[in-house]
Amino acid sequence: MKKILIVEDDEMIASELFSLLKNSDYEPLVLKNFKESYQEIMELNPDLILLDIHIPYVNGELLLQKIRKNSNIPVIMVTSQNSEADELLSMMYGADDYITKPYNPNILLLRIANIFKRMGENEEMVYHDVMIDKEHGILKRGKTEVFLTKNEMIMFSYLVNHQKKIVTRDELMTALWNSDFYINDNALTVNMSRLRAKLKEIGYENVIETRKGYGYILE
Amino acid sequence: MKFFDYLKDKLYAIVLFFCFYFILLLLYFAFKLPFDLIFVASILFVSFFGLLFFIDFFRKKSFYQKLLLQIDQLDQSYLVLELLEQPHFYEGELLYQALYDINKSMIENVKSFELQMNDFKEYVEMWIHEVKIPISSFLLIAHNHKDEIPIRAIESVRKIEDYVEQVLYYVRSENAHKDYFINEVSLQKVISNVALKNKDDFLEHQIDFIVDVQKESVMTDSKWLYFILNQVVHNSIKYKDDSKSSYIKITVLEENETIVLEVLDNGIGIPSSDLKKVFEKSFTGYNGRMKARSTGMGLFIVKNLCEKLGHTISIDSKQGSYTKVSIVFFQNCYYDVLK
Repeated sequence: MKKILIVEDDEMIASELFSLLKNSDYEPLVLKNFKESYQEIMELNPDLILLDIHIPYVNGELLLQKIRKNSNIPVIMVTSQNSEADELLSMMYGADDYITKPYNPNILLLRIANIFKRMGENEEMVYHDVMIDKEHGILKRGKTEVFLTKNEMIMFSYLVNHQKKIVTRDELMTALWNSDFYINDNALTVNMSRLRAKLKEIGYENVIETRKGYGYILE
Repeated sequence: MKFFDYLKDKLYAIVLFFCFYFILLLLYFAFKLPFDLIFVASILFVSFFGLLFFIDFFRKKSFYQKLLLQIDQLDQSYLVLELLEQPHFYEGELLYQALYDINKSMIENVKSFELQMNDFKEYVEMWIHEVKIPISSFLLIAHNHKDEIPIRAIESVRKIEDYVEQVLYYVRSENAHKDYFINEVSLQKVISNVALKNKDDFLEHQIDFIVDVQKESVMTDSKWLYFILNQVVHNSIKYKDDSKSSYIKITVLEENETIVLEVLDNGIGIPSSDLKKVFEKSFTGYNGRMKARSTGMGLFIVKNLCEKLGHTISIDSKQGSYTKVSIVFFQNCYYDVLK
């Protein structure tokens, strides 16, 4: 499980972020000692940091600079400071992403997932014995192959990443819209049935179950 | 400064002089002075007296003429004293000193007002950042407890977020300070953020969102542009036509030296009588009164921000048919050279 450190001085947000990340199968940690934040971060050695700019004792940007001197831990700046200058400064100091409060929690999760995906670029995605070639949009099982459209691939990889868990339509929509596919509800349904048909072609029938009122679940 | 008007102003002196000279003439005649002497004395009197007026006139003229000319030509006429030499006649010195004092007190006044404005602006910005924290925690709580919090509550909080954002940009657009930062911005990314932000509204109201971007990058401030586009898209959602299936189409085209971003919707449109006034402050118009509550601030702020960034914005519409908002970005040749 990936360790994600939450550096946030608002306790309410920190605790809600904690449950959000926990529910998404990460191991969340919360920074307690702001006075010696740098030492604590180094001791905890997280896989990713969610860093607020406004924290006690030290400015988030300075902390980021300090972290960057010794480490390449991915950092997402999370802040209510909504200005171009702040964003550029953070990126210059070596932040991997910048997200402004208030954010859509699904989008935050997508951004986190994106960073991990970028890090493990060569990691191959598989579903049981199906090889997933995202770049070319191919699912390969033994000698049979099916081509997926980009929409279908986004949906399928999202389901694979959340295997055996309920994925809401809203989450799928967010993933699609986040990749600039602005489809509507009907199109999602159509894409889902096409994806099912294609999975059937390679011998996986009825692996995507519909849970009425909740969403979908991939076995 | 005209000589004739100057003489009119000095009329009392001329009248007094002639009275005095008339009395003098009577005295001359009473003492039976020779006629030649009277003649020469008269000429001397008149010419010296005339000379007195001329000298006085030209001393003042050079000062006042300059003053009036500078006031006329200066962009900010209150700076006139900076360009004026101190005059060397008594009235002028008085005037100069008075102007100096008036100016000083005015500058002090403006300065204190400016400080007050800055304080206020800082406070508003700080307050906005603070109020975003409980909004964020609400959205997180709502996400973590989906079954307990109705979607309507989330929608209401999202609306609060939008109104808060509007205040922030109003403060930014009204202020002389430069809060923006112009750099190369990906339009696709800005549009994508706007799309994600309004995704739920699009899906709920079954509005198709179509994007066609041909030219990727423009020189602007991405945060400001995001706000501008978000406001325009908001309006399209707000004034959609319920009787037909709605769409909002965003296209980006390159035309000659400019890049044009168009937001087209098939909503209820704007009456042609209102079209010219939509960018005015607090203008609500027919649609604002009939369809939805409107503050008339959105497009006003948008226009202001566009002007600051150096983009032009225009609106075209046909009632009952469509509304099209176009934002024109001028390509920055200077920046191309630097690159």
